[in-house]
Amino acid sequence: MRRAVALLLAVTVALVLADSAIVTLALPDILAELDATVGQVAWVLISFNLVLGLGVVPTARALSRAQPRLYGAVGIAVFAGASAWCAVADSIEVLIIARCVQAIGGALALVGCLELMVAESGERRGVAAWVTAGVVGTAAGPFAGGLLTQAISWQAIFVVQVPFAVLAVPAALAVRAAPTHTPDRHRPAFRPNLTLALLSAALTAALFLLVLLLVEGWRHSPATAAVTVSVVPVAALLARPLARLTRPSPEVEVAVGSFLIAGGLVGLAIPPSAHLAWTIAPQALVGLGLGLTVDRLTAQAMEMRLPRARHAAWTIGARHVGVVVGLAILTPVFTTDLQDAQVPAQEAIVALVIDAPLPAQDKIELARALGDELEGEEGQVPDLSGAFASLDVAPEDRPAKAALERALDVQLESAATFAFRDSFLIGAGLALAALLAAAVPRRRRTS
Amino acid sequence: MTGALRRASMPAVALVLVAGVIGTQLANGGGTFEPLRTADPCVARDVTSQSDGIEGLTERLVLLGIDGAACRLDVSREALTLDLGQGGDPTDAQVDALREGLKAAVARMEDDGTLPPSSELVDEALDSADLNGFLEAAIRALPDSIVDGALKTDDVLVRAIDDLDLRELLANLDSQDALNDQLQPAIVDAVKDSLADRLRDLV
Repeated sequence: MRRAVALLLAVTVALVLADSAIVTLALPDILAELDATVGQVAWVLISFNLVLGLGVVPTARALSRAQPRLYGAVGIAVFAGASAWCAVADSIEVLIIARCVQAIGGALALVGCLELMVAESGERRGVAAWVTAGVVGTAAGPFAGGLLTQAISWQAIFVVQVPFAVLAVPAALAVRAAPTHTPDRHRPAFRPNLTLALLSAALTAALFLLVLLLVEGWRHSPATAAVTVSVVPVAALLARPLARLTRPSPEVEVAVGSFLIAGGLVGLAIPPSAHLAWTIAPQALVGLGLGLTVDRLTAQAMEMRLPRARHAAWTIGARHVGVVVGLAILTPVFTTDLQDAQVPAQEAIVALVIDAPLPAQDKIELARALGDELEGEEGQVPDLSGAFASLDVAPEDRPAKAALERALDVQLESAATFAFRDSFLIGAGLALAALLAAAVPRRRRTS
Repeated sequence: MTGALRRASMPAVALVLVAGVIGTQLANGGGTFEPLRTADPCVARDVTSQSDGIEGLTERLVLLGIDGAACRLDVSREALTLDLGQGGDPTDAQVDALREGLKAAVARMEDDGTLPPSSELVDEALDSADLNGFLEAAIRALPDSIVDGALKTDDVLVRAIDDLDLRELLANLDSQDALNDQLQPAIVDAVKDSLADRLRDLV
């Protein structure tokens, strides 16, 4: 029974933190189905992270004298109800409001679950389980969201959260945990929280932009993208056992992890082609970095600091504000770069069609069909297969037609990849800033 | 493993991993996976066509002509093609540049010997021309040397280019029939004018 309770509470923590990135792969479907703009759809992500990031510390402060099992259960119930509301939202405005309510419930649930997990498993194991559940949720969010979107629909992302959360409500109520009544003894740990915020902003590039590149730029299905980005959570899980082999200090672990994330993001910025294999090793670096840093920094920020819930809330706040800052920095950069990539891509297509070894009349027909495709998908990476399907060429020209189609697809893929390059490099810069924040020696206090 | 060695091992492994990943990406062309860059239209380039006869000649002329026009307008040939292909009314500068580009293309092909003699094009032109059978048979019976002596390909082409309404030609790009309706009279008129001038010179 106690195991089941602990598991349900850990799953709830993972779900709340997965929700930060879980809808990334569903955004194109949401955009189309709810007839929204790109700017509105971005708020489906931003609203949740912003409300959770700004709301979790005041929540922890306000509830310091309340019963953890009560506000924990209420938070989980609100989170479950808001998840169901998200699933039935029939407009983008309703979905954004439901996401805000989901974040409020999530803030209550995170703070409550921490106290309940400590009451259930003891200080050390409870905090460790809470931190690990958060890392797993963060890393696995895009993977789970992509699979559900492909297999069922974007609404399924929210529907599947409801039964877990509903089961966690009685689990939370079953734990006997008294309010801690701990006075506010310690200031928030500035350096670990700042490093967490910077790393979360950097990880935005890996967790959000990479899936967008795979789905929108390289035109893979959400399921393929989800399986591809599963490298990050797998590597994150491997990071801790690997770190045990060398037993480095926490500071070294965080510095190395930040460096690995920066290196992975540079690798993602410069793939030699749009083959998925070129993302595997960079993602593995990002995943290892994530696994080395986030739980270590969270533990550092909470270590020996009271009240526990408030310092845990600072880590959640730092992470989610970091995500919002990351989105605020990276979204305008990559959307502008994507717009700017259109003209070079069109010119490259023109060059290849003009020089293609096809009869002139076929080229003129193809150019007309391609023009229609490009016009029809203004603002998005177009699918040119329709234009080629409509072109009937002589049997001896079919190999040249197939080669041209492949060459044009490569041009579109390279244009999209190039458009994301600056954003990945900025992400790498944020990871290096985190490395600096973690590695700069502390000033010695003079008496 | 000593303490110092163990402390240094994780950063060293990370350094090797990152260098290995980035090095592998770069060694395989990472960083250069970008859309094709447009070529300088002012630099002469070879153009080819899959078509033979008049269609092939026209295609090579148009490709070289667009290069020349783009060079005069200081834009890429791709940008000019996109601009002209979007169906809007071309500017006077674009029309003038295109005409000059086409004439320069004729001159270049004449200089490098890739312009076919007129006798090579006559048979094909006769196939599509609406002449009476007797006249067509008479022209076909003429030896190539007489045809080539009477008609210079570059002269006919330059005259046709001067006569063509390029605005209408650009507007008709979508319709092969409309293009033919416009090109045939221009070429026939050019042939007539060229022959008339040759006769005038002989007299």
